[in-house]
Amino acid sequence: MTASTVSIHHDHGHGGHGHVHLQYQPGLPLTRGKLIMWLFLSTEIMFFAALLGSYVVLRFGAAIWPKPHHVHLSEPIGAFNTFVLICSSVTIVLALEAARANKTGLAKAWMVLTLLLGALFLGVKGYEYQAKFSHGIYPMTPRSLIHERPDLYYGSAVRARLGEPAIIDKLKELDDTPAQNLSAAEVEARDTLKKVREAVAAPDQQAFDMAWVADKVMPLPGEGAHGGGHGAGHGLNDAFPWLRLPIVIPGGNMWASTYFLLTGFHAIHVLVGLIVFVVLLTFRLDRKRAGMIENAGLYWHFVDLVWIFLFPLLYLF
Amino acid sequence: MSRLAGIFWALLFLAVPILGVATFAVAPGYGIWLPKDVSVHGASIDSLFYFILVLTGVVFVVTEGLLFWFLWKYDVARGERRATYIQGSHTLEVVWTIIPAATLLFIAIYQMNAWADVKMRRPRMSPTVEVIARQFEWRLRYPGRDGQLGTSDDLHLVNDLHLPTDEEVLVQLKSMDVLHSFFLPHVRIKQDAVPGMKIPVWFKATEAGEFDIVCAELCGWGHYKMKGRVTYEPRAAFDAWLERKYAEQEATQPQPEPTADIATND
Amino acid sequence: MSTIVAPSHAPAAAHQPHAAGFLSTYVFSKDHKVIGLQFLFSTLLWFLIGGLLALAVRWQIAWPWSDVPVVGKLFPLEGGQMPPEFYTMLFTMHATVMIFLVIIPILAGAFGNFLIPLMIGADDMAFPTLNMLSYWFMWPAFICFGASFFVEGGAAAGGWTAYPTLSTNPAAAVSGGWGQTLWLLGLTFVGVSSMLGSVNYMTTIILMRAPGMTMFRLPMTIWAMFITAILQAFALPVLTAAGFMQLADRVLGTGFFSPEGSIINNTMNGVGGGQPLLWQHLFWFYSHPAVYIMILPAMGMVSDILTCFARKPLFGYRPMVYSIAGIAGLGFIVWGHHMFMSGMNPALGITFMVATMMIALPSAVKTFNWLGTVWGGRVQFTTAMLFALSFVSMFIIGGLSGIFMAATPVDIFIHDTYFIVAHFHYVLFAGTAMGVFGAIYFWFPKMFGRTMNESWGKVHFFLTFLFMNGTFFPMHILGAVGFPRRYADAYHYETFHHLQPLNAFMTWCAIGMVATQAIFAVNFFWSLFFGPKAGRNPWNANGLEWTAPSPPGHGNFDYQPVVYRGPYEYSVPGVEKDHLMQTDPPNAAAAAAALAAH
Ligand code: HEA
Ligand code: HEA
Ligand code: CUA
Ligand SMILES: [Cu+2]
Repeated sequence: MTASTVSIHHDHGHGGHGHVHLQYQPGLPLTRGKLIMWLFLSTEIMFFAALLGSYVVLRFGAAIWPKPHHVHLSEPIGAFNTFVLICSSVTIVLALEAARANKTGLAKAWMVLTLLLGALFLGVKGYEYQAKFSHGIYPMTPRSLIHERPDLYYGSAVRARLGEPAIIDKLKELDDTPAQNLSAAEVEARDTLKKVREAVAAPDQQAFDMAWVADKVMPLPGEGAHGGGHGAGHGLNDAFPWLRLPIVIPGGNMWASTYFLLTGFHAIHVLVGLIVFVVLLTFRLDRKRAGMIENAGLYWHFVDLVWIFLFPLLYLF
Repeated sequence: MSRLAGIFWALLFLAVPILGVATFAVAPGYGIWLPKDVSVHGASIDSLFYFILVLTGVVFVVTEGLLFWFLWKYDVARGERRATYIQGSHTLEVVWTIIPAATLLFIAIYQMNAWADVKMRRPRMSPTVEVIARQFEWRLRYPGRDGQLGTSDDLHLVNDLHLPTDEEVLVQLKSMDVLHSFFLPHVRIKQDAVPGMKIPVWFKATEAGEFDIVCAELCGWGHYKMKGRVTYEPRAAFDAWLERKYAEQEATQPQPEPTADIATND
Repeated sequence: MSTIVAPSHAPAAAHQPHAAGFLSTYVFSKDHKVIGLQFLFSTLLWFLIGGLLALAVRWQIAWPWSDVPVVGKLFPLEGGQMPPEFYTMLFTMHATVMIFLVIIPILAGAFGNFLIPLMIGADDMAFPTLNMLSYWFMWPAFICFGASFFVEGGAAAGGWTAYPTLSTNPAAAVSGGWGQTLWLLGLTFVGVSSMLGSVNYMTTIILMRAPGMTMFRLPMTIWAMFITAILQAFALPVLTAAGFMQLADRVLGTGFFSPEGSIINNTMNGVGGGQPLLWQHLFWFYSHPAVYIMILPAMGMVSDILTCFARKPLFGYRPMVYSIAGIAGLGFIVWGHHMFMSGMNPALGITFMVATMMIALPSAVKTFNWLGTVWGGRVQFTTAMLFALSFVSMFIIGGLSGIFMAATPVDIFIHDTYFIVAHFHYVLFAGTAMGVFGAIYFWFPKMFGRTMNESWGKVHFFLTFLFMNGTFFPMHILGAVGFPRRYADAYHYETFHHLQPLNAFMTWCAIGMVATQAIFAVNFFWSLFFGPKAGRNPWNANGLEWTAPSPPGHGNFDYQPVVYRGPYEYSVPGVEKDHLMQTDPPNAAAAAAALAAH
């Protein structure tokens, strides 16, 4: 790297080459760094526009789409994360201001805070991902427990899961546990599980029975008034986390695909931002670095802006 | 530079329009030309083809001709003349924008009707046949005696499509696996078959005969051999054929085609 | 301004890079000229590979299932005979190599890199390191594409358009293994390379023009490169996003492009809810602008060559600039013309059809202005000029065939036939590639300080021109029969069985065309070392690059260039010499002095 720097850089030291320092007539009153950053961000806009456009097309082309609660998305958590990200956009501006005023200590402090807020965002995002995974919501077929409808395939998937040796052992253990060692809810859940096992083992099962099974495994919260707005956390998979029975979320697989696609690429961008911040923190953040901070800030605002689009699209509508 | 060289190169560029037009002129003589058309709407497609061929042919000959002429005339070897110093011409720019614009707009509007006839004005009728493309064959399903698709008396066939002449037919096109394209060269029909979609295709054949069904969308290694045959025949012959096939199917019950139903979920 | 050092005062010899090592000078160089040449040599190599793949394709079409020479030995083909799935890999990879490793990088990477700083009076690109990276991202791409032939199942076989669900469902294709996945990875690398290049070019062109070089004094080459860079920047991320989605469908098991309930190889496809047409929209949203990415720079370079050898100003400079912009702008709203038969709403087809018709207008403006440029000139038939003229001549053919397909009812019949294959080889090979040959002959002296042999250049031109038309022109009439593209063997159809002799003729022409390139290769390498030395301005052209030494040294210019006029001031009345360089001082006396100093 260093060798090549030598070869390109205007080696004013070596006189006698007739080398001139060229003058230019810039077409815009911008530094190269800032211009290329704007141009780079426009390519990023197109990238996310394509992803968001695909999301819209897939969602509105889908016969059915789950409600945020069906897939364990919580608006308050999302809103909190939005707030965190907006705060970090403010703190990076403050860091820039401080650097411009040559207050290096203060600039560093704001920068650290930005870094922490960004990390907090990722942490919350990780927690949300974890919540999805623990409910069997993955973007990918081999691991995802999601079935689109409670049909016979679903029944046989539940039966298959219940027939796995490890689960058989666990079930036996559960059956043998005396009732007084279990909470009331667990006893109730154990009874439900018995019925579910009977239902999927029955030779002449009906789609209707499977809908009942699905509801017991992981009930989908109803719409406001009737369902009581709750239900998540009361299924068999919640009562016995080791069960991990297949679940039914209509439209769930496509939802998971798009959700992880959009938030995943956003998270990667956040991560890149954090790396940039760490690199910046190794410098003295004085007036000379204001340009770098400004570019990092532009990028960070962009990342923030993308989230401002993602949050309502994914959590609210 | 020698004048001879200039003449040689100018003539080379003159050869382009001459040989180009000649190729199109002799091709039909060798049977390398639009295949016979046996449909009603095909005539409008073909005439549009000819119309554009003549129009672009004229543009082609004129522009290539001008290029030749300029090369011929303004060869540097023709003597010590200075090149004309001219930056452009506003009038000319306007002229050669407006004229092509008008021409192209004319083509655009002129052809809309033909397009709508083939792809937009769907006749109100139930499908004559359902064509389900699959690697690498055409599965056909005729409604049975009840005239309804998707019932247990459907007639199932592979690659051997028969359709009546002189009446509108409606093909319901589906795909079981990947993209295919239902191409009937002799009735100027082409439509991609898309998994997950049900696409209607309609036309009216005017002549009896047996022709190729070609798959025109890459669908895997066997794309080239996804060949079917289509037979157009008068109504009476068609009905008789249906009856015969139906009897054959009855004789070999039970019908072993359950997959087709799942594929198309209806 | 008065302290400008005239070029003739400066040391003529290019000064060599200093003691820096071989690696940093020729391999990991950040000098735009070296990077440009790296692109040039690499793309020429890949061009050869793409051409050999094309020959293998042609062999199969002419003589299906007969033993394939050369390629049959290169790849483990059973008994030298090609299995049908190998044929699909061949044309997929032929197109992939030609488009992503040859045409796009040779235009933007090789010529864009070499010419942009020189033609605008800059010492280098704005970001030399990014520039270097943009070259080095090509190699992982090449390795991905190249290696895919040797992995389980073979290379990608879904066509260069990679339509799902053939491309997303491993069960659907013989090459269900790594081939398609590697293809997507390769595409991503190419995309990163192009993206790095494009933002860099835009920054350079906006901020690093020499004093006096206003936007409307830029040569057409630079305008074309600039607008191409904009196209890249706005279209390419969409393909990248789509590529990631297809990658996810393949390796993570998502179902963006897979509809519910399809049955492949008798097994039910697990995922569902996706839309196969979504990929087509995303793909063509990029790839239609991309076809202009693949021709605009060639149009720009051809404009420069034509004016130079017609010794005339470019006819209608501003309309030429606006038409490039018009092509680029309209290019974003016509992508649906590739999807007329796809099952897309036919009413939408009408809007795309009208937009497509309109995009012919700026092309018409360009064509007529090129003719206007030759008219009244003093045409010098140099090799570069012949290639540039053939670009114009052939682009007319390729463009006019586009009108047939834009007419939706006609497209019903010719879509996915050889008519389409004819169309795009006329614009891509007969157009762009011929333009690129012209550009190589034209700027070779600047690149290497020596000129290529003109006589052999003309032989090369003549034979290429002949064989190229022999190969591609008959494709039009094949298309008129409905001869389907991507067919390993179509002669078992009653409709097509009589077309084999014509195809054999075309294959002979293709073999001749590739063989002819040996003349070019020898001329190229011979001239590199033994060609006659060229001065700064061997063609008496006007651009800034011709005031720098040949080849230019570090920092390009040995004086501060100041621009006084547009790039096409040939045969100005009242000036004795027939060209006024952009840096020639304005008053006539000074011009005469400059002339005397030469
Ligand atoms: C450099 C590449 C390039 C260029 C410049 C173009 C230019 C054009 N293309 Fe082409 N095209 C491709 C590369 C290119 N194309 C490729 C690669 C494919 C196939 C992809 C695949 O499927 O694999 C394709 C496919 C393609 C299709 C899809 C066909 C199908 O699959 O069924 C269509 C349809 O409309 C089309 C139209 C056009 C038009 C209208 C132009 C216009 O821009 C042309 C305009 C130019 C002129 C018209 C000539 C000059 C003008 C005059 C002389 C003036 C007078 C003219 C008139 C009044 C008519 N192209
Ligand atoms: C830029 C793009 C480009 C170029 C240049 C070419 C060039 C050629 N193409 Fe290709 N082609 C495509 C893009 C291109 N093609 C695309 C996009 C497809 C569609 C694929 C699909 O359906 O998915 C296609 C498909 C395609 C088909 C159809 C296959 C089918 O549908 O079944 C055919 C058949 O004849 C063909 C033939 C040729 C031939 C004979 C050449 C010849 O012109 C090749 C000539 C090659 C040379 C002349 C090599 C020259 C070498 C040098 C100059 C190097 C010299 C070396 C040094 C100095 C080191 N091509
Ligand atoms: Cu089916 Cu091609
Ligand atoms: Cu296009």
